[in-house]
Amino acid sequence: MSNKKMTRRDFLKYAGLASGAAMAASVMGSLPAAAAGTSEQPTLFQFPHIQKKEFEGVTVRMLAISGANYDELYKIIPEWEEQTGAKVEFVFKGDGFQTDKRLVQDFAAGTVDYDVCWDHSSFFSQYVKADGLEPLENWFTDEELADFIPRLVDATRRDGHLWVIPRHFDISCLHYRTDLMTAEQVPETWDQFKELAKQLTDPAQGIYGTQFAGKEEALSGRFYEVLIAEGGQLFDEKWEPVFNSPAGVKAASMFAELYAAGAMPPGMTSFVWEDVAKNFAAGIIAIYSEWYGWYSFFQDPSSSKVAGKFDLARQPMGDGKIHSGWAGHHGFSITKASQNKPAAASLIKWLTSVKGNELEAKLGFLVARQSVWEKIIAEAETSTDPLAKKRLELALLQAQEDFKTPPLIAEWLPMSNILYPILQQIILGDVEPQKGLDDAAQQVRDMMAKAGYYTTGA
Amino acid sequence: MATISVTKSPARARAFEISADEAKRLPWLLLTPGLVALAVVVAFPMLYSFYLSFTNYDLTRPTTEFIGLQNYIKLFSNATFWQAFGRTVLFMTLAVNLEFLIGLAIAQLMAKALLGRGLLRTVLMMPMMFAPVLVGFQFKWFFNDQVGLVNNLLYTLTGEPHIIPWLVQVPLGFISILVAEIWMGTPFMVIILEAGILSLPTEPFEAAEVDGASGWQKFRHLTFPMIGPFIYTAMAIRSLDLARVYDVVSIMTGGGPGTRTELIWTYVYRLAFTGHDYATGSAMSYVTVVVSFLFTFFLFRNVIRSRWEGRE
Amino acid sequence: MSTIGYAKAGRRPRIGDYLRDAVLYLIIFIFFLPVLWIILTSIRPNMEINTRPPIWIPRELTLDSYKILLGWPTPEGAFGLGSNIPFGQYARNSIIIATVSTLFSLTFGTLAGYAFARFAFKGKNGLFLGMMLARAVPGIALSLPLFVLYARLGLSDSIPGMIITYVALNVPFTAWLMDGFFRAIPAELDEAALIDGCSRWSAFLRVDLPLALPGAAASGIFAFLTAWNEFALANVITRTPASRTFPPALYEFTGQFVSDWRGMCAMSVMMLIPAIIFVALVQRQLMTGLTSGAMKG
Repeated sequence: MSNKKMTRRDFLKYAGLASGAAMAASVMGSLPAAAAGTSEQPTLFQFPHIQKKEFEGVTVRMLAISGANYDELYKIIPEWEEQTGAKVEFVFKGDGFQTDKRLVQDFAAGTVDYDVCWDHSSFFSQYVKADGLEPLENWFTDEELADFIPRLVDATRRDGHLWVIPRHFDISCLHYRTDLMTAEQVPETWDQFKELAKQLTDPAQGIYGTQFAGKEEALSGRFYEVLIAEGGQLFDEKWEPVFNSPAGVKAASMFAELYAAGAMPPGMTSFVWEDVAKNFAAGIIAIYSEWYGWYSFFQDPSSSKVAGKFDLARQPMGDGKIHSGWAGHHGFSITKASQNKPAAASLIKWLTSVKGNELEAKLGFLVARQSVWEKIIAEAETSTDPLAKKRLELALLQAQEDFKTPPLIAEWLPMSNILYPILQQIILGDVEPQKGLDDAAQQVRDMMAKAGYYTTGA
Repeated sequence: MATISVTKSPARARAFEISADEAKRLPWLLLTPGLVALAVVVAFPMLYSFYLSFTNYDLTRPTTEFIGLQNYIKLFSNATFWQAFGRTVLFMTLAVNLEFLIGLAIAQLMAKALLGRGLLRTVLMMPMMFAPVLVGFQFKWFFNDQVGLVNNLLYTLTGEPHIIPWLVQVPLGFISILVAEIWMGTPFMVIILEAGILSLPTEPFEAAEVDGASGWQKFRHLTFPMIGPFIYTAMAIRSLDLARVYDVVSIMTGGGPGTRTELIWTYVYRLAFTGHDYATGSAMSYVTVVVSFLFTFFLFRNVIRSRWEGRE
Repeated sequence: MSTIGYAKAGRRPRIGDYLRDAVLYLIIFIFFLPVLWIILTSIRPNMEINTRPPIWIPRELTLDSYKILLGWPTPEGAFGLGSNIPFGQYARNSIIIATVSTLFSLTFGTLAGYAFARFAFKGKNGLFLGMMLARAVPGIALSLPLFVLYARLGLSDSIPGMIITYVALNVPFTAWLMDGFFRAIPAELDEAALIDGCSRWSAFLRVDLPLALPGAAASGIFAFLTAWNEFALANVITRTPASRTFPPALYEFTGQFVSDWRGMCAMSVMMLIPAIIFVALVQRQLMTGLTSGAMKG
């Protein structure tokens, strides 16, 4: 579908962008295994096992995420086609949310005409609920899975099955301007963050202390991670919504207070990822939470006014003494409707192979395979970029200790859909935090009840 | 679809000497192709979602049960829905009337223009040639608080930066989507109203001129009443279009922030697709469509009356 | 149109008339401003887009965004999401779907309009209302069931599927306009033809249809523009470049993390061209048609 023509520079520039793409890339913290990884595995997993021309004449149809440098990975597909004799056909390419909508509609309408689909840790539960995916444990041996960061793999196990093979993940960290504040000022807690943001706001210079993406899942997710840090939860163990707790009110109030104080751009409720990144690159934001993926975009002087003038830090803690760390990961799944499951499995193995991961790691993605992590950290030692190593080590630390996916239920997006307009109302002062969250909790409860969560003894 | 039986006399062909049998069959034969297309594309989906509105259909749940009127009952206590409903009516009323006033003024000027009418008309129709989604993207960008065209214009005119969050503040958000919709809808008004003005006979105007009537008097007592049917048509069609307004608003504000610019169809979309609750969304669609239906009925009752009944 | 005397009341233009025209030009220019801005954006360097303070007059003009869209060679450093977009295929689909669906809507709408204008039959008013009601239903309310239906019928992601859809969307308004045009034609002409021994069919073809042609042009403009610009249904029915039209393709310029405003503007301008040509060619008939009596109650 696409004949991509990009120059090298732009390619690198957008490489960074896309990897930010992690809408919520997440995952579980056992990156430590990566660092501690033994040297036994790599050669074994260098390439998936492919028999020559075993899928001659088969066409594998694929629903893929696209945009920025997500597509770069697809460049290794011809090699797989060459070896197996199969053909890959892209049925659709779109960004994460478009792809998600398409999947939901196709599963609902029974119109799945593809074998392989993009998948995401925040989204796959919906597809499982809709009975659209093929369990993968039959197609991947434990040995094949051993190189993947275990927490990533675990995050896509549900109901005793494995549903997604991870590709790469993302998590957020504080990005702050070194020309506006010192490393000593880096906030440890969200309370400090709030005060600092107000203090750094300077209307005369056109500087806002901070910002958040202000709509849709981007807003719900940020609320979620602050809520957790403050010691709150979205649900209790019976799936009753409990985010209207004091911790929730405190989290929501922080957003409202920052907005009311003028410490955020007034249009923030319409911001999505691209807007916040562009604002930071335009030099009008002092400190905020951002995905790692944008790094090369920010460091490129041709796209960013803050190149060389910013640093990274761990997400703040809250009263719960927990660091925020909203995270998520991308991967691939096989559809239940697929008629070519062996070939589909082979394609997924190829796309998530060491070769695929290495290619994506070079683009700035935080990849899923431990053996590749070892390699890139070693390489960063010699990088000319002073932040290169720090960035990877911080990501690793966060992945080990802070990563938190939203609840792995199909109702996460519907819940976010209820929550974010109310959070916007709270931010804008249209409704009191407690009242708004109570309202949202009630609506979420209704939604969960309708989805069958509270039926006893069924 | 609804039947309003107003046909009193037995079917008969006017002006033709054809058998009564043929007169009965022929119109239906002529209507069949259009009706088949409508049945597939409009009637079937509406019936299907009518059925779904009585179930708990959810996009991600494979099983669906019949739950009777529950969706409708809940709807009546849903404040967000009724607010969106009221806002949609307000939006429609404002948009259609403003479009009419602006459209009438332009049409009046256009009808009298000395030269370049064809070119002017083509230029004026450009907003109609843009896809509503595109208009949404563009106006969202025009009203951007940091680098938008509107704030930049204020910057240039006043010499200092203005950071007005057009799409966020009350009532600026509502005004912004209104402006976009008016920009897109006015040309249609102009075309129809200009046609109305151009179709007027010259004699009454010449007579009025002789009597020394002012321009305003001529407009008030001749033009305005005489283009009545055109006004009626233009406003009726635009009202129907505005009743289903979605594309522009969904892109510019998505009904937000909060529910500040929520209209019926942005709310239905958020609920039915993003929220997966297609059944409740269908119930809302139905309530809205029934209201639109009543509206259509009152709007077109007059058209129908004047069109066929009066002549027979 | 020169027969319509409203504009020229048989006197020479005065200063006031020129002033009045100046006001008109100004208003139309204001309406044109957003279009102008879109055109300017499409030919600016990327660096000049979305800046504060604003750069009003482009310092340098470039056609890069168009070249990227069309797949022509561009200088090093030019980037745009447009390079991912199979522009040629989208253009082909859009043109075929809009043109063919317009022709069918006109045919079906003319037949229906003729039935409404020349016959009295049971359920006529209800039918008329029902057809108008179809216009009040937004695409998003139809999209999912229609998608399911088309998937079963094998019409999903196909050009015929899109054509059927737009024919249905356009038939009601076309029928309504055509009804008005036919009623503006005196029935006596038909009678005369019938007395001369014409069949009904040839009376329709020889008498009514030619007289209603300017009306058909008017209806055609509206039908064409609807089909050309429709998004909600196209977004669900078309799934690949095999049938995808321009409006859903506009979304391909806005990713989740990057968007390409300039590319989107360039495609908008390209989309505008066929529409302008079409409208410029038929706008005269549009006016003749609309003034001929379609609206006169």
